[in-house]
Amino acid sequence: MGWETLQPVVHWLGDSEFGQWLGQSPIRIAGLFVVHLAGLTLLLSGTIVISLRLLGIGFLSGPAARLTRDVDPWRTAGLVVTVVSGMLIFTGGAASYFDGLWFRRKMALLLLALIFNFTWFRTVTHAREGRFSPWQNRVTAVLALLLWFGVGVAGRAIAFF
Amino acid sequence: MAVLEWLHALEQTWIGEVVRESAFPYVEGTHVLALSLSVGTVAWFDLRLLGAAMRSRPVSEVFDSVKGWMLAGFGLMFVTGALLFAAHATKAYESWSFRAKIALLALAGLNTFVFHLTIDRRRLEWNAAPVPPPAARMAGLMSLVLWLSVIAAGRFFAYDL
Repeated sequence: MGWETLQPVVHWLGDSEFGQWLGQSPIRIAGLFVVHLAGLTLLLSGTIVISLRLLGIGFLSGPAARLTRDVDPWRTAGLVVTVVSGMLIFTGGAASYFDGLWFRRKMALLLLALIFNFTWFRTVTHAREGRFSPWQNRVTAVLALLLWFGVGVAGRAIAFF
Repeated sequence: MAVLEWLHALEQTWIGEVVRESAFPYVEGTHVLALSLSVGTVAWFDLRLLGAAMRSRPVSEVFDSVKGWMLAGFGLMFVTGALLFAAHATKAYESWSFRAKIALLALAGLNTFVFHLTIDRRRLEWNAAPVPPPAARMAGLMSLVLWLSVIAAGRFFAYDL
């Protein structure tokens, strides 16, 4: 299945009354960008907090799983806010976003980051102390940071390249 | 206007020119993603002050764990922000969003300063409290609101360029 199979959905979305209404106003889109950035900041910094524990350089009292349980509600809220605002921004300019190389790279990275987040990352960060070696924890942290910051970098690139 | 002449001269320096004509996407991208290190880590400390996250962890542990990253993050924000300013100094000076951003930054700084001079002086008394005293919660809430406003003003400023 290639990107082109999604074309009809993209055009339906972009041509919809709601999509047109969103895209018309720079103020509406700017407001959505603020929400998108705030959500992203929470998601990325939540990832930093958990990674500091996995790397053994911060939040060292108690097991990693407890820190994860503490951070997860806010971090997941950040993810949901970022994704929902991102979908609305996309709806406001669907066809031109969809044709962009960096948009497609961002979506591919986002898919990878999400799969990683809800499989490997979730398993390691919720595991009881000692189940994974310090090196497995460190590799998990580095991968999480690379993937989520990679999504951010690709997102910024959409605006410029 | 002496100020405008001076800012115009700043734009004409080689730094202003390089940022404006080629480095802008990289400097701006770094400025946006460094939000996660600066505002992002502050947000987790604020959530702890509010008693909204990491309640079972001493406030000091949260602060000590993010302190270095927070300083590095704000250092990066200041340097990239100064470079972006050099590239578009006169437009920034004339933009109401930019003026609002600087005013909000000053307020966020003042809030932090007052917090450290008042309730934070007695931190030992409430360091382990799941929910810190009202003055500390107020400082945390003000910080979250002010930083979100700084992000919003910064994002709206992009439309004045």
